[in-house]
Amino acid sequence: MMVLVIGGSGSGKSAYAEELACTLAEREDTAKYYLAAMQVFDQEDERRVARHRALRKGKGFLTIEQPVRIESALDKMETGGRTVLLECISNLTANEMFSGTQTFSNAQTFHETRVRKAEETVELIRQGIAQIRRETTHLIVVSNNVFEDGIVYDPSTMDYLDAMGKINRQLAAWADRVVEVVAGIPVPVACGGTDGNRSALSW
Amino acid sequence: MYHNMDVERKMNLVIGGYAQGKLQYVLQKYQLEENVVWDAALPDEKEMLSEIIVVNHLHQWVRSRLLDGGCPEEEVQSFVNRCGNCIIICDEIGNGIVPMEAFERKYRERTGRMLIQLAREAEEVERVICGIGQKIK
Repeated sequence: MMVLVIGGSGSGKSAYAEELACTLAEREDTAKYYLAAMQVFDQEDERRVARHRALRKGKGFLTIEQPVRIESALDKMETGGRTVLLECISNLTANEMFSGTQTFSNAQTFHETRVRKAEETVELIRQGIAQIRRETTHLIVVSNNVFEDGIVYDPSTMDYLDAMGKINRQLAAWADRVVEVVAGIPVPVACGGTDGNRSALSW
Repeated sequence: MYHNMDVERKMNLVIGGYAQGKLQYVLQKYQLEENVVWDAALPDEKEMLSEIIVVNHLHQWVRSRLLDGGCPEEEVQSFVNRCGNCIIICDEIGNGIVPMEAFERKYRERTGRMLIQLAREAEEVERVICGIGQKIK
């Protein structure tokens, strides 16, 4: 089964996704993997990671840090049943899109390079997650709702938003269930292409 | 939460994006007048004169308490414990790009976590979109 979990900052999406991963893994007695896409740059990041680690503690997740080329995480997994929790698409997208340095000769090439980078990022992540999905029993992907502040940002941030929107739509199309977490409450968005009613989401 | 068992206490939470008609929705649904509404403020004990209290723009109150170095989590909890019957209205502010400034990130994160706690305790949670309330708890 594949589930896409979305939510805003401080919505409780991680806690929900972990609980879900545990339930699904237990059901079929699979190993549990936590794919962390976040890169740590400062103390605030460290605190964030520590909070997430504390949430997962004792739940039996094997953590794999994989900031880019997400499918390479598969090389670090055992064979057999796998429940994979991938967190999160916003970091993975930023890492793929903004890592590495590029030089530009003029504004035109800057624009072209930017657009190409965004397209490549969508394709890379799409293929990476497709491969993970093929090779796991259950896949839960956490993504962020970063789309509702109504602010027009600089062009590269807008490219990032577009790329994330495309990736989220692709993941939702693949997913058996899409859940939005609001104030800690899971709200069904879609369920296997059906009407997505609440009862269909309780397991 | 410490309940006084003699009095029935009830808290409802109403959330949603900016300008979605949350206050109007609440006033209409519960047939209330504006005089029971506290805007970005929590009444203290002697100010709790109405049977039901509506707190609007809780996120703005959180912001000002954080700026003043207060602890909004504890303060709102103590208000809910003291208050007999209240409806708390708050914007959802976490659904955007991560802000550049540390304070803005803190404000978003703490408001979000506070809403999780309030939603846990609330009798009912509604999310208002385009003036329409969706009961999510």
